[in-house]
Amino acid sequence: MESLSDTKWDVLISGTGLQNSLLALALSRSNKKILHVDENEYYGGAEAAFSLQEVDEWVEKVSGDDPSNPFRNASLWKADAEALNGTPGLSFSRAYTLTLSPQIIYSKSKLLAQLVSSKVYRQLEFQAVGNWWMYDEDTNEFEPLRKLPTSREDVSQDKSLDNRAKRSLMKFLKFVIDYENQAETWESHADAGLEEFLSSQFKLSVNLRSAIAALTLSFEDPHDISVKWALPRIARHLTSIGVFGPGFGAVVPKWGGGAEISQVACRAGAVGGGVYVLGAGIKQSGMVTEDGKQLSQVHLSNGETVKTRRLVGGASHHELTNPKVVSKLISVVSSPLTSLFESSIEGSPLAAVSVVVITSFGTVEHKGQPYPIYIMVHSSETGECPANQCVLYATTMHTKYSKSALEEAVSHLLKSIEKGEGKLLYSLYYEQEQQASTDPTILPNASLDLAFNDEMLQAVENQWKSIVADDTGVGDAIFMQFEDREGMDNDDDDGDEGV
Amino acid sequence: MAEATAPKPSSSVKLVLLGEAAVGKSSLVLRFVNNDFQENKEPTIGAAFLTQKCNLPTRTIKFEIWDTAGQERFASLAPMYYRNAQSALVVYDLTKPTSLIKARHWVAELQRQASPGIVIALVGNKLDLTNDPSTSSNALGEDGDGEAADGEDADGDARKVSTAEAKSYAEEEGLLFFETSAKLGTNVTEVFTAIANAIPETSLKGARGPGATSGSTGRTEDQSRVNLTGPRDNASKEGCAC
Repeated sequence: MESLSDTKWDVLISGTGLQNSLLALALSRSNKKILHVDENEYYGGAEAAFSLQEVDEWVEKVSGDDPSNPFRNASLWKADAEALNGTPGLSFSRAYTLTLSPQIIYSKSKLLAQLVSSKVYRQLEFQAVGNWWMYDEDTNEFEPLRKLPTSREDVSQDKSLDNRAKRSLMKFLKFVIDYENQAETWESHADAGLEEFLSSQFKLSVNLRSAIAALTLSFEDPHDISVKWALPRIARHLTSIGVFGPGFGAVVPKWGGGAEISQVACRAGAVGGGVYVLGAGIKQSGMVTEDGKQLSQVHLSNGETVKTRRLVGGASHHELTNPKVVSKLISVVSSPLTSLFESSIEGSPLAAVSVVVITSFGTVEHKGQPYPIYIMVHSSETGECPANQCVLYATTMHTKYSKSALEEAVSHLLKSIEKGEGKLLYSLYYEQEQQASTDPTILPNASLDLAFNDEMLQAVENQWKSIVADDTGVGDAIFMQFEDREGMDNDDDDGDEGV
Repeated sequence: MAEATAPKPSSSVKLVLLGEAAVGKSSLVLRFVNNDFQENKEPTIGAAFLTQKCNLPTRTIKFEIWDTAGQERFASLAPMYYRNAQSALVVYDLTKPTSLIKARHWVAELQRQASPGIVIALVGNKLDLTNDPSTSSNALGEDGDGEAADGEDADGDARKVSTAEAKSYAEEEGLLFFETSAKLGTNVTEVFTAIANAIPETSLKGARGPGATSGSTGRTEDQSRVNLTGPRDNASKEGCAC
């Protein structure tokens, strides 16, 4: 095998998580000598996706005591065949692609525009995030699961709302999509809690207040969400609806969410001449001077030593004083849960993902868990599980009770849908800690967010700028804007597949 | 299939290329797609996704050809590369025995990673470097890989892997088998036609995606597909043919 040390690299990127992979994509036409490595034997880092067998290996790995690992306390549960009582159990390992990053991407996110302008979207397939549901046993014990009204159409059709409530809600929706021009309404409340603001300024009922808070996808107790943080996120949700078609405002990439985007981005890096090596992390690095130039000399965990002008992602992590930790539970369920995905909106695509926000369910124990629980329900259309099954990705703020709260929330939800026919086949619990890097260009919490955060793109663009700024003559390059590669016949590509 | 008078059904088939560096993977594709050959071609950079139609008597197969883009060098191919591939071309250089060992490795990898039922063709390339009667090359050892010429026999035959050896291995594993010359065009179209013929009709439903997602729901996959360059997207219109 050829040796990596023979080349003097322009850029060494360590880690194939989403941010670093997007950087590789951004640099894929820069004619730089790029070496992109990952300490793992798989792509995606904290945004990876796994078969069941790979999950087993991953669980083993993250239970080790490595402080640089954002994951911990992973544990697996599998239903035994007897308990299933004839229900078909799990399929083979590779029939599943469980993702560590079930993030949704709002239609208005710049990420989608950049995947299009960089032409890599052709290798991805996006699917709609359809219905949003709220599960609330406090308000309605007998029918706790209700569709969230998230558009004006929904509001006018919602029979559970009286006319006064509809008017107040409409007034709020109208305000929030234009909040930037209506500073007088909210600026004096910017740091106040969202709950209080909705109650005092818009006279919204407690139900509607929690419905609106759910749209922010915040892990916090709704009382602790500030107005200035919440409004842009609510507006993002509302203004994204309809951008790519009726009835939905967010998408997910098929076959494993963020993992898929990082693989496609890395592939673009390779097409541009980048060299990819897995199972090679940075062990140690230092500066050396060669021909009067400063180079990083990097020892890789596969035994090779390489020299590079720039090193990205090689910085170590430092402890945050109060890191955010979330608990996650991935469950495979023996039912397609069809009713969660049905749409009443004409012309909307078949949704592959539904979002359920659980604000209350009935146990004493969960009172220690005042935080909302979000469950992204992925149908088999996502390619993440076989037909007639679903994958549920549940997330909540980590507390002493969060693990049992997640388990109970999933079990309550399953009981309330399709007469409880969905049985739990498999579940993977783990915790993920927010990390800060000593490298200020690495975003600390990008992979914790439930929706893709555009701030990551800004970070990537800054990194890209500082790297291409080394050159002369590329001043007019536009970030993530590329022509199709030769041989890519686009008429043919989109033409005969129809829509 | 419902309408007999409709034009021939057309289906997309994802084909992945595998094989050691410099065996001529990209050259085979270039010959197939453009009927072209480049001497001393640099390792693949740039074109890594090409399409070409293959007309059969009853249907048209559109190959979506995924080149490795050099990611095979350090065994760093991503799972998405294999995913949904209905066919694979595993190439070795018949003047280089180690490349057949590597090819066997890739066949095993495909059997482990790719969809069950994938059609695999084993291809021994650089037939022009042998003095096989089926080719009439007089330009030896200029096939993009300088090393290949080093071991030439006195009679100008650089073949190091016998047809019988590779063929019996292919038969054992149930692979299609061809010896080709991308340089002269020998057998190149034949490989792709044979693959097209070997793809089972049942795996040719929609755009792509056999097996796992076919399901019993009777829905086609495209119902869930969101088009990012659709008419509502005013950011970028080019590339949209709807």
